[in-house]
Amino acid sequence: MPFKYYGGVHPNYEKTAAKSPVRTIAPPKEVVLPMIQHIGAPNQPTVKVGDTVKMGQLIGASDAPISAPVHASVSGKVVAVEPRRHMLGDMVVSVVIENDFQDTPCEDMQPLTPEQLKDPDAIIARIREAGITGMGGAMFPTAFKIQGARGKVDTLIINGAECEPYLCGDHRTMLEHPEELLKGIELVRIAHGLDKCYYGIERNKQDAIDLLNSLNPAQYGIEIVPEVVKYPQGAEKMQVKAVTNREVKPGGLPSGVGANVVSTYTAYSIYRACYEGVPAIERVVTVAGSGVREPQNLLVRFGTPLEHIFSEAGGFVGDVRRICMGGPMMGICVADISAGSVKGASGLLVFTDKEDRDIEEPVCIRCGNCIAHCPMKLQPIYMYMFVHKGDYKKMEEYHVMDCFECGSCSYGCPGRLPLTHTFKLGKAMLNAKRAEERARAEAAKINAAAAAGKEVHA
Amino acid sequence: MEEKRLFTVSSNPLVRTDRDTTRIMLDVIIALVPALAVGVYQFGVKVLLLLAVSVFSCVFFEWGYRKLMKKSRSVGDLSAVVTGFLLTCVLPSDATWWMCVIGAFFAIVVVKQLYGGIGKNFLNPALAGRAFLTAAYAAFMTSWAIPTTLGATVVDASTMATPLSYLKAGTAMPEYFNYGSLFLGGIPGSMGEVSSLAILVGAAYLLWRKVITWRIPTAFIGTVAVLCLIFGGEGYGRLDWTVYNLLSGGLLLGAFFMATDYSTSPVTLKGQLIFGAGCGALTVLIRYFGSYPEGVSYAILIMNCCAWAVDRVTRPRQFGVSAEDVKAAKSAKKEAKKKAKEAASA
Repeated sequence: MPFKYYGGVHPNYEKTAAKSPVRTIAPPKEVVLPMIQHIGAPNQPTVKVGDTVKMGQLIGASDAPISAPVHASVSGKVVAVEPRRHMLGDMVVSVVIENDFQDTPCEDMQPLTPEQLKDPDAIIARIREAGITGMGGAMFPTAFKIQGARGKVDTLIINGAECEPYLCGDHRTMLEHPEELLKGIELVRIAHGLDKCYYGIERNKQDAIDLLNSLNPAQYGIEIVPEVVKYPQGAEKMQVKAVTNREVKPGGLPSGVGANVVSTYTAYSIYRACYEGVPAIERVVTVAGSGVREPQNLLVRFGTPLEHIFSEAGGFVGDVRRICMGGPMMGICVADISAGSVKGASGLLVFTDKEDRDIEEPVCIRCGNCIAHCPMKLQPIYMYMFVHKGDYKKMEEYHVMDCFECGSCSYGCPGRLPLTHTFKLGKAMLNAKRAEERARAEAAKINAAAAAGKEVHA
Repeated sequence: MEEKRLFTVSSNPLVRTDRDTTRIMLDVIIALVPALAVGVYQFGVKVLLLLAVSVFSCVFFEWGYRKLMKKSRSVGDLSAVVTGFLLTCVLPSDATWWMCVIGAFFAIVVVKQLYGGIGKNFLNPALAGRAFLTAAYAAFMTSWAIPTTLGATVVDASTMATPLSYLKAGTAMPEYFNYGSLFLGGIPGSMGEVSSLAILVGAAYLLWRKVITWRIPTAFIGTVAVLCLIFGGEGYGRLDWTVYNLLSGGLLLGAFFMATDYSTSPVTLKGQLIFGAGCGALTVLIRYFGSYPEGVSYAILIMNCCAWAVDRVTRPRQFGVSAEDVKAAKSAKKEAKKKAKEAASA
């Protein structure tokens, strides 16, 4: 029985693509693979212009502990190593590969042996080498996450909530590859050194819950936890609360309360890396939204220019305003659709003027919806006031830093206040202020030491 | 080279609920229709005329003030229309059209716009307008026309006493004031407050549409009921006394439509309960000991003044913080202060 948590919203789920099977799209003529597709140190390209690469070949790596290598998602010739626009806006060093449409596989990575499949170290090494990151959107290197949590956590939760509207890639994966998925989850469990793990799935995917349960998940050490349908069920903190009734401390990580959360598609990617020897080179992307002609789920190679993906989905319709990577609640807007898709892009949503409900002069009517909706039990209404005033003391007092930007407050605001946006701003302000204070303290220390030194000299 | 198209970027979320301020105000207007319909039936077409004058003046003052002050236009959010509706509801049918205009001016310009408009006022505009009119035109505001359903029973007068004044005086109610007439609306009173049934229908609509929550009305009405049951009234059975107190006067209208006003009530969940209970306690206090038979509007206005303070003291603990954490943080703070003091003295 899952535990309850405060707040949350019930947006229109619009999971129109949930019924359509995943379709593999034709690979593009050219893929653009940015060297940063994760949180952490950027990769250095390991290939140069003119090199011939095979599908799955390592093309970017880093020695830094927090990083995830990048692999060629097609076979062909490297035509450029240059800064290109990343989906998320920055110019990032990218490897551009011209596709030879042969899909010549790279033999570097072989499936793990049955012994290795039981060895946590071998699994974690493979996850790292396959460049797997959090596929839910955060893109945190998974190997590092598991390594850090190993031995410290007693509960592993696989996140199958998929609470964001529109997205249904995880749902389709559960339906189309249930056995592989369960095996992938088993690998994650073994890597954590645990005997049991939980798979939290929202009840709106009852068909998937039934199917997975029919495959006897207990033999893989998995218990399926059907969860209430409520956004942001899939947020890490909410998952931990729903499954274990533990609350992650403000500013803390789930591992602080002995839990670790890994997303569904990450587990599936881990299955493919370990059982099939395929690194992270493709994923299911839900292409949907009112601005897409044929909303559907597509299996897309990383680096595929977004334009190509959209044309595979029938192109745009209507007055397209905004395009986002991920779900509509926490997704990040994409300005330039010539960029290549990256690992964390679980969805590509196209929104027209229909969804554009922002108004020029938002006014708070003190309805209190934001307070009723905030899963962190904060008071967005007052936080908004204090951020606007620039009152740092009050911002701290009202815990602006604890906002994890789920968007529930903005979603439910009838006055159309840019609440979530303001809190992002507030967090940046507080971070800048803290950095300044640290710098001042350091300078004071140095100056004091220098003054003391002078006195001694004199 | 062809110009590359760049799409708009904004912070998340990219989707928002379709319920905006205008839709909420429209819901309140819809919810007030049954109560005012009963008003029209009981007190005649005059009610509609007064409603028209109130709404028109409210909208006019809202528009005019914003225009004069060179502020953005705000009549589109319908909040001024709601104020007009509510003002009509709390006025007796003997009110004159110019009283509606004056009440609307006080409500919209003095109470609402001078503080910055919707969401910024700290008093309920309609109730403040009523309070102003009561102070200025006491005779008009306490003269109650005979409702249509009692037209045949009470023939020798043009006005009559309300059930509340019988309660206040401690004299027995006349026969025609019974549970049925109080519930259905066969009593004298303000234009929108006579029928408990009509108000409850409107309230049910607001609750269903999630415009209001159960907290403030339940705490409000519950407190009045409990206090009336405990203390009773002279000349009445405890149960009779309680039911009459609940069904007469502006209690239900106040609890569902006035106390739940967003800008003048607390936003924290605990605060809303305290606010409702405070309104209830003050209502009973005024009805028992005050010089007016009715205390709902003053009770709400007084609690309006406390709304922000209630918010401040009822902040919930944020996610991930337990009661022990708060205690620990407090004692750590104390300790640090003590140490600082010791260091200073040493």
